[in-house]
Amino acid sequence: MRDAYVLGAGQSSFGSFPDETYLSLFDDAFDAAMDSVDTAIDPEIIDEAFLGTLGVGGRQIGLSGPAVTEHVGLHGVPTTRVENACAASGYAFRQAVTAVRSGLVDVALAGGYEVMTDASSDHTRWWLGVSGETEWERTSGTTFAGVYAQMASAHMNEYDTTVEDLSRVAVKNHANGAQNPKAHLGFECSLEDAVSAPSVADPLNLYHCCPTTDGASAVLVASEDVAREHSDTPIRVAGCGASSGRVGLFQRGSLTSVPASTRAGEDAYEAAGIGPSDLDFAEVHDCFAIAELLAYEDLGFCDRGEAGRLLREGVTDPDGELPTNTSGGLKSKGHPIGATGTGQIVEAFDQLRGEAHVQVEDPKYGLTHNVGGSGGGVTVHIFEKEETGGSA
Amino acid sequence: MSGIVAAGVYVPQFRLSSDELDDAWGASHASGVDQKAVPAADEDTLTMAVEAAERALEDAAVERSAIDVVSAATTTPPLEEGDFVARLVRALGLPADVASATATQHTAAGAEALSRGLDADGTALVVTADCPEGEPADADHPFGAGAAAFLLGDDPAVAVEDIGWYSNETPGVRFRERGDRHVDALGITTYERDAVREAVTEAVSSLEIDPGAATAASIHQRDGSFPYRMAGDLPISNEAVAAGTVVDRIGDAGAATVPIGLLSALSGSDDDLSIAAFFGGGTAAAVACRGTLSVPGLGGIDAVEPISYAAYLRERGYVVDGEVSGGGANVSLPNWQGSLAQRYRLVAGSCPDCGGATFPPEGACQECHARVDFEEFEAPRTGTLQAVTVIGQGGAPPEFAELQQRDGAYAAAIVALESDEGTISLPAQVTDVDPESVSVGDTVEATIRRIYTQEGVPRYGVKFSPTE
Repeated sequence: MRDAYVLGAGQSSFGSFPDETYLSLFDDAFDAAMDSVDTAIDPEIIDEAFLGTLGVGGRQIGLSGPAVTEHVGLHGVPTTRVENACAASGYAFRQAVTAVRSGLVDVALAGGYEVMTDASSDHTRWWLGVSGETEWERTSGTTFAGVYAQMASAHMNEYDTTVEDLSRVAVKNHANGAQNPKAHLGFECSLEDAVSAPSVADPLNLYHCCPTTDGASAVLVASEDVAREHSDTPIRVAGCGASSGRVGLFQRGSLTSVPASTRAGEDAYEAAGIGPSDLDFAEVHDCFAIAELLAYEDLGFCDRGEAGRLLREGVTDPDGELPTNTSGGLKSKGHPIGATGTGQIVEAFDQLRGEAHVQVEDPKYGLTHNVGGSGGGVTVHIFEKEETGGSA
Repeated sequence: MSGIVAAGVYVPQFRLSSDELDDAWGASHASGVDQKAVPAADEDTLTMAVEAAERALEDAAVERSAIDVVSAATTTPPLEEGDFVARLVRALGLPADVASATATQHTAAGAEALSRGLDADGTALVVTADCPEGEPADADHPFGAGAAAFLLGDDPAVAVEDIGWYSNETPGVRFRERGDRHVDALGITTYERDAVREAVTEAVSSLEIDPGAATAASIHQRDGSFPYRMAGDLPISNEAVAAGTVVDRIGDAGAATVPIGLLSALSGSDDDLSIAAFFGGGTAAAVACRGTLSVPGLGGIDAVEPISYAAYLRERGYVVDGEVSGGGANVSLPNWQGSLAQRYRLVAGSCPDCGGATFPPEGACQECHARVDFEEFEAPRTGTLQAVTVIGQGGAPPEFAELQQRDGAYAAAIVALESDEGTISLPAQVTDVDPESVSVGDTVEATIRRIYTQEGVPRYGVKFSPTE
């Protein structure tokens, strides 16, 4: 099976843009992705598209994928809309990689889009609950924040994780996001701010929750030949992992981990032939602060129960051993549900090409981790900057 | 005639004192009522009936499968027309072929339900539950809430020796217009008192016992002084009336007040004669009982969880619009109906391959992921909190917005229920508790509550509350 490469990647600004549409936001993302390619390409070389969205607001429940590709002039390109909640575009990217690796296509577009801030609060609350398990979890009155808060309560009970540990996620990611002009909440916050914010779903407070965000992202996936032809710094997709889990937290056996993340991570590491210690940076799915802690443990950054220590010791700070969420993460950069997965890949692409706003020194390997719901679907991707000059 | 084999009482924990009423309105129109019971926002006559019946059944030597008749009485069913007994049957896990009866329309409905149960050939479960409402400025003041359940059959602890009836048209004494929530009375004081006293006196006098021998009497109690007035023409002592009066502590619980008063009296009786005298809708009924029995739940009569008048208006829904806005949960009624065994009785599945437990018992085994035919079992109704959060005011999904407006922030938990057949986990709310005080590791027990109402149909299922 041949390799797949990231040829280009870009995103719209993430934020609250009630005057934009999912089409206009994708316009921006597509343009940014096309502009990021070193040697300009003709859009006509794009053979197929896989686009992720949950479809918050219900605006175009059917066929929004083709609507997007036609809108940006990819006329007639076969387009599949992918729905896996917050992991929609992580899975869309996986589909694009699979299509390229299979030899079926040479260039595939992966991306995602979501508009979340233009509806009434009641309507938005309804939509935010659609990715929890409906028959039992939802009807016990939980919200999305509530399910992650339950995981936090169990983690805090089992491992003595503290509110300060959760709050350090916000402090770190806001500090990173403040450097990112496309971040939704691009401001810094102090530990004191983060600890004392109003409660959303105890033990999670406002600073432990990502915002609802509008935005789009796009990634061009290409065969090795195309990548080498158009790119000075080809970024190889070194490893793909993905796994499903029970949609309801209560059905999963573990309240203090996301088993699908562990499985997806193991597969990705094995495929890339590396381990967590080889990573130079990671973008993990921090929809809620506890999710970033769980990701550290599920992805092998540390042992179970040690995530709080990693934060306390600054291991995942930009100058630490494993900088994590240098983009600002979902917490600060924002979480436009369907656009998040490929949005993380935009940061990985920028880091490996030395173009990130919070740049890690000369990285070789980066990881992205995208979670649907509270763990019903997870993708992990590992990217590698190939040494130029020596190969091909 | 059979008698009372076992019984149970349920009174909601909230209490509104008459002092609070007085502060709110400048006067309290609840003579002799010190405080009244207030159903929580997720309670209604169905949930109170289930709770009282569970208590009657828990100590009884009678299997649920042996129950032949279910007879219910309430003037305030959650739906004016709709399922009541059928919901009781499912919630309690009773056989589908029980004969059912529902008495309503007036506060003597409890006597009609008891009579139906006593006449039954076999074992009968009789449940009375009520929570009347009135015009907040005055008629509402004495209205409380509660439920009483009786298991009737052979070899009773308390023999029912006789029932007497008296009917006469006495309009305007207590009535509720069609489509109106509020019980009314015209307040023609002397006429009303005379009409009720005459009916009660005639009914009790028709009994083939000596009322003067009664050591306890639960007499129609719409306020604290009423039962004494109504017994005025009968040779029943004030001490006996006091022994059967509960309205002073729980308020006027409609059709359930006299039954609760009777059970309170029976639990303290020493194989003596006790009398219950019902009145409602022009009908009086008197019941003569002899014997004593212990009644689970009676302690709830004196439980005190005080609430303010503002909280009272919220909990009872006087100031909250129940419309679901923004769309409700996408769980169809047929799907909900199909999960009642889980929502009421916690029916789970045991995997014949690996022995793991799965809840709900459908799809692949949650432990070994094999597709198997589960062996079903009822999970225990007491368990431990594995995870918990508090959904703050304003943060609930739309279908829970009404509950939250009425009852405030609530705790949503994952509960582990452990038994020899395996351990299941399920998500559920923790109710009847300050949500901030709930922690991982707490022991909780199941209770059936109204989960939410959508498209006009209330849906019921399991919640958990802290064990005593």
